[in-house]
Amino acid sequence: MEQIITEFFAKSLHIILESRCPYVSSRNYSGEQVLSSLSPSSSSSSSSSFRPRDKWFNLALRDCPAALENIDFWRQSNLEPMIVDVILLQRPIDWDPLNFSPKTGFVSGKERHYYGSDNEEFGCEGKNERIIERWVLQYESKKNGGSTGSKKRSNCTSSHALYKKSILLLRSLYATVRLLPAYKLFRDLTSSAHIRMYNLAHRVSSFVEPFTRREEADMQRFVFTPVDTSCGRLCLSVLYRSSVVDMGSDPSTPISPQFIPEYVGSPMAEPLKRFPSGFVSQSSPSSSPFGRRHSWSYDLYRASPPSANPSPSPSPTYSDSHASLAKQRCRRLPPPSLPHHVPDETLVAYMKTPSYDEYWPSPVFSPSPSPSPPTYVPNSHISKALLRCESAPVSIPVTKLSSMPSLPNKQLMPPSPPLKATLLTAAENIAHCFMLQLLSFSKDRLHQISGARPSVNSSPSKSFSSRLSFQDDYDDGPFVVEDDEILDPSSRQTEIRLAGKVPTWSGLFELPGHPNEPGGTLFVKRSQDAAVGALVRMLNKAPPLHQDLQGSTLQTPTNSVKDTTEISEEPRVQQSSASNIVSSGLGLVTSKTTANALEELHGYRKMKDSLLKLK
Amino acid sequence: MNCEICQLKELDVEHFEIHEVLRCKILHTILFHRALGLVRPKDIDLELFEITYVQCGDVELERKVDEKIDQFLDRVDKHPNKKNQICLSFYEVKNKQPTWFTNKVERLYWEQWYINLNVAPHQKGHSGKSTSSKIVVDPEAEERTVRRAALEASLRDVLFQIIRFVNEKKDHIPPIPNLEGVSFPYEITISSSSDSAFGMEMFKRMLQTGHPTMLS
Repeated sequence: MEQIITEFFAKSLHIILESRCPYVSSRNYSGEQVLSSLSPSSSSSSSSSFRPRDKWFNLALRDCPAALENIDFWRQSNLEPMIVDVILLQRPIDWDPLNFSPKTGFVSGKERHYYGSDNEEFGCEGKNERIIERWVLQYESKKNGGSTGSKKRSNCTSSHALYKKSILLLRSLYATVRLLPAYKLFRDLTSSAHIRMYNLAHRVSSFVEPFTRREEADMQRFVFTPVDTSCGRLCLSVLYRSSVVDMGSDPSTPISPQFIPEYVGSPMAEPLKRFPSGFVSQSSPSSSPFGRRHSWSYDLYRASPPSANPSPSPSPTYSDSHASLAKQRCRRLPPPSLPHHVPDETLVAYMKTPSYDEYWPSPVFSPSPSPSPPTYVPNSHISKALLRCESAPVSIPVTKLSSMPSLPNKQLMPPSPPLKATLLTAAENIAHCFMLQLLSFSKDRLHQISGARPSVNSSPSKSFSSRLSFQDDYDDGPFVVEDDEILDPSSRQTEIRLAGKVPTWSGLFELPGHPNEPGGTLFVKRSQDAAVGALVRMLNKAPPLHQDLQGSTLQTPTNSVKDTTEISEEPRVQQSSASNIVSSGLGLVTSKTTANALEELHGYRKMKDSLLKLK
Repeated sequence: MNCEICQLKELDVEHFEIHEVLRCKILHTILFHRALGLVRPKDIDLELFEITYVQCGDVELERKVDEKIDQFLDRVDKHPNKKNQICLSFYEVKNKQPTWFTNKVERLYWEQWYINLNVAPHQKGHSGKSTSSKIVVDPEAEERTVRRAALEASLRDVLFQIIRFVNEKKDHIPPIPNLEGVSFPYEITISSSSDSAFGMEMFKRMLQTGHPTMLS
């Protein structure tokens, strides 16, 4: 009879957890044809050890690991009450479903935690927990003063009756768990693939704090008729909330459904898809590209998308597909939260793209260092929600000068080789992006960048990295600081800074290096820094373009003028002041249209070829 | 052994709901609790209601139940506007007692379940798929929704009623004869309130059992 009681505990727990915990039950259904060991006419019914576990009480159930884990305690002593709490976990908006940790001990099953969750109640700040069901199973033993002889006989018959009644009780339990409101939540969790705002957890213990009166008033009780035995009785009851459906029922949509303009699809679905159109709408709501990226990462990781987070999570998508890298690059171009006016925004985005480009070979594939979106978006909450790479997005702009230098150096060089293949694809995308941007950019910036281009080609990367950090600054493009220095034709710092950027790219793309040349005159106006930076990048990738963009030589459509244009850039830059260059550039730029774009395209093709050679 | 009788709460159902309600109630509630042999429970979701019931996993049993439900539907069609009743009885087969007025096999009923359904008029039924104008359907649809919700709540209550009955009365159950499927022989009879044979069937059952069934 002891065994019956023990197995009853196990079976009850099995039934309860099987229908309340979405992740505990395995799908291996053991359907072996096992005859019931309980012979109706036999007197001994307690010894059923040879029966498979799940066939106890004539109820063949699937395996339930959670139940197996938790029942050991009651195998040793079935006099302790077994209390199973079914807990409804409701997640806040910024819940990260990727962070969860299973509990040990009596608490089993998967619970999803939020950041920094270490609550005893396996919850976290912001997580709403509520016990929606409490099952109490107890074997109340009563003192039996009967004689041993009669006790044996009574035990035999009572075991038989006990077993039969246990079977009935378990049948009722099996039916009841499916009639209670919590079952609907369970079915919603298991049936739908959508991320829900809630989750079900369970806790098995032998002692719990009783409900408060207020809590108990909200709950209903259902008591199963106790099964009397010769030594006691089995009692099973449940306290349940009848209104759990209202609590847990959420639409099977993302937590914060957000219209993503110009959604371009998931990178996983179309990894090689190009998104040139994304650049056309640079001035469009900045959240679009990032939103897209965000949607990708959402698709990839099924994470609840941070609603208002325009900043994508670059690292996951980076590491997933080459195309995603390229896409991200393109996406970064229009940063969502740039405070500048539209032209600057685009330019800033463009400018920032170079920074990404720099980090692109390396950080792209390494989640942590990517400074990408966070730099654009100073929304801390967004970055926190999205970035798994743990790169402090928000902090990047703050510590850009200090932290950035180290990052690119570390990551730029080592990963470059493996990135070549990706770079090729990315380069193509970049080429498209840049082309589009160039068309939309004012020509003066192109001119400016072209002027600075030569100087970029040579310099240590470290200084470059320091310049890269500037790119993160919206207000000050990478060349803001350089403006002052660029204006000074003889400034070497500018050269170094600008050139710092080049080595990485030049190494990758075999761009012709140009001797140090002050590009200070390129970037004069603070408001144009973003565009300048972007254009510089473009120039880095499209050497021929620089030649064309050269002030007076802008009209030159030939690509072979690369060197000559660079050379010609020097005198022009040195000669004219920044403002003059800008104005002249403006005039020159405006005059360029298709030819410039074609030259750029050619430049990109060369870049692609260079990448191929690097392979 | 006395016969336990359980009169289930009457439900107002529409014609198209009968099948699901009966399957749910008969299969789920009663037979599952009376199939005390080895069963592999199977969860079945009702289409019309958010209720999941459990089947025994016995194909033969399901077939028999569906047959009876079809018979019930036929009777409902023949006798509209009447309270219809399905009786699920469990009996024990007693040794043959050849008597002149009884069958060869004597059945000792030890449990009877009466499922009472009040079927709504047929005109309103057809699942509301009438091709009438949409404007007219809208208020009807809303009314139907309300009625459906009420019926679902009632159905849930009936299921709990069955569970309580099963829990409370266990001593009358005879030893389990079969190891698979429904352990006890059973029969399903259909009757309606205005059917004159209804009372006769009950009387016949009383005679067959050899003792008054109404007394317990």
